[in-house]
Amino acid sequence: MIEIRNLHKAFGSLEVLKGIDLSLEKGKVLVIIGPSGSGKTTLLRCLNLLEMPDAGSLKLGETELSFDGGRKPAKPQVLKLRQSTGMVFQSYNLFPHKTALENVMEAQIVVQKKNKEEARKRSAALLAKVGLAGKEDSYPHQLSGGQQQRVGIARALATDPEVMLFDEPTSALDPELVGEVLKVMKELAAEGMTMVVVTHEMKFAAEAADTVVLMDGGKILEQGSPEQVLRNPSSDRASQFLNLLTEKEG
Amino acid sequence: MDDRKIQILIDSLLPMIKAALHYTITLALISFALGLVLAVVVALVRLWKIPVLSQIAGIYVWIIRGTPLLVQLFIIFYGLPNIGIEFDPFSAAIIAFSLNMGAYNSEVVRGAIQSISNGQWEAAYSLGMTRGQALWRIILPQAARVSVPPLSNSFISLVKDTSLAFTITVIDMFQVAKQIVSTTYESLLVYSEVAVLYLVICTVLNALQSVMEKRLARFSTR
Repeated sequence: MIEIRNLHKAFGSLEVLKGIDLSLEKGKVLVIIGPSGSGKTTLLRCLNLLEMPDAGSLKLGETELSFDGGRKPAKPQVLKLRQSTGMVFQSYNLFPHKTALENVMEAQIVVQKKNKEEARKRSAALLAKVGLAGKEDSYPHQLSGGQQQRVGIARALATDPEVMLFDEPTSALDPELVGEVLKVMKELAAEGMTMVVVTHEMKFAAEAADTVVLMDGGKILEQGSPEQVLRNPSSDRASQFLNLLTEKEG
Repeated sequence: MDDRKIQILIDSLLPMIKAALHYTITLALISFALGLVLAVVVALVRLWKIPVLSQIAGIYVWIIRGTPLLVQLFIIFYGLPNIGIEFDPFSAAIIAFSLNMGAYNSEVVRGAIQSISNGQWEAAYSLGMTRGQALWRIILPQAARVSVPPLSNSFISLVKDTSLAFTITVIDMFQVAKQIVSTTYESLLVYSEVAVLYLVICTVLNALQSVMEKRLARFSTR
């Protein structure tokens, strides 16, 4: 489903991704962890081209892109790739001038050109799926953080993406609201959705991930099953980081 | 106040209101609408740094904001005929006021668009929207809310500035007042009357602004 080869990205002189190789099969869950500044969010944003890689190649579903030699994908390719991914943001980024239902309807109408009735039905079903039946007409500011993030998930699901991208989806939430968002994500994973998740939630990584990737300094430091990476990391740097996290959680 | 003065006040009211409807308000509405379209185009051209166009837009804003509106009116109506470009007074006024509104409001629109968080663009893009779709469906509706107060300000200024149109022979509300003064010699009385009429128009506009702000505020608690 996803094939990344030798992906590079720099912001000015700051090299953020220094050659990432990664692959993910359909229906699997990949969790990316790592200290801040390790490049994990940038890597995720490269998957739907919110950041344009400088070099390397990316295959996602049917879209194959190469960035070598300063090549940039054509607009239709960018749009196609983005339509086959759904993204959930750390700060939700819901459209504040639209109700929960309208947030979920928006891309179906504007991008997929569905008729309103069809979009409305699908959106109501998606809101129900994330546990928000009855909140259709609420505006984002009337919802709690956890509810907003679940609308964000429903919105990202609305265009039937092949891959869901989660960028620290629970980092902005009060601790007591984290559970409801993780629960929805686990349900999605259990349904066979292909997911890439950047997170600090070790419990989620241990329980839901098929593969865990630990990044540091723009490179992949560890890669393997949650058991391997979280329990028996091979490098000192990795154990150091994991110890820090467990101390914080403990 | 004697009967003659009261009679002058009453007699001049109808022609003034007629002129307000025909010229003052019409001029203001048309110029504001055209100016707003121009403002959005100029704001986008400059925000997106479109080559050549954004330089032209920058020069346009610089010139309009750096010269008096009265001089702009004179150049368009009295100056341009020297190179063979002639307008009737009403069209010349529309052109001058629209250009003026476009320049000032482009800065308002630009600021409003920039005030919308980048996350909104990213959310729209992540759903597969084009830049135009993101702008039209997601960014502009939010920017509109932010710009209501400063745009209302511009509109109110414009309503009053239309009184300059008399200088290029448009028979607006103020020109009618001048004509009445020239036959009655009651300058204090008639000019005060026309001032009250401007005040009434602007008060109505202020009330409309509050209504619009309330309507747009339903999603505003951020």
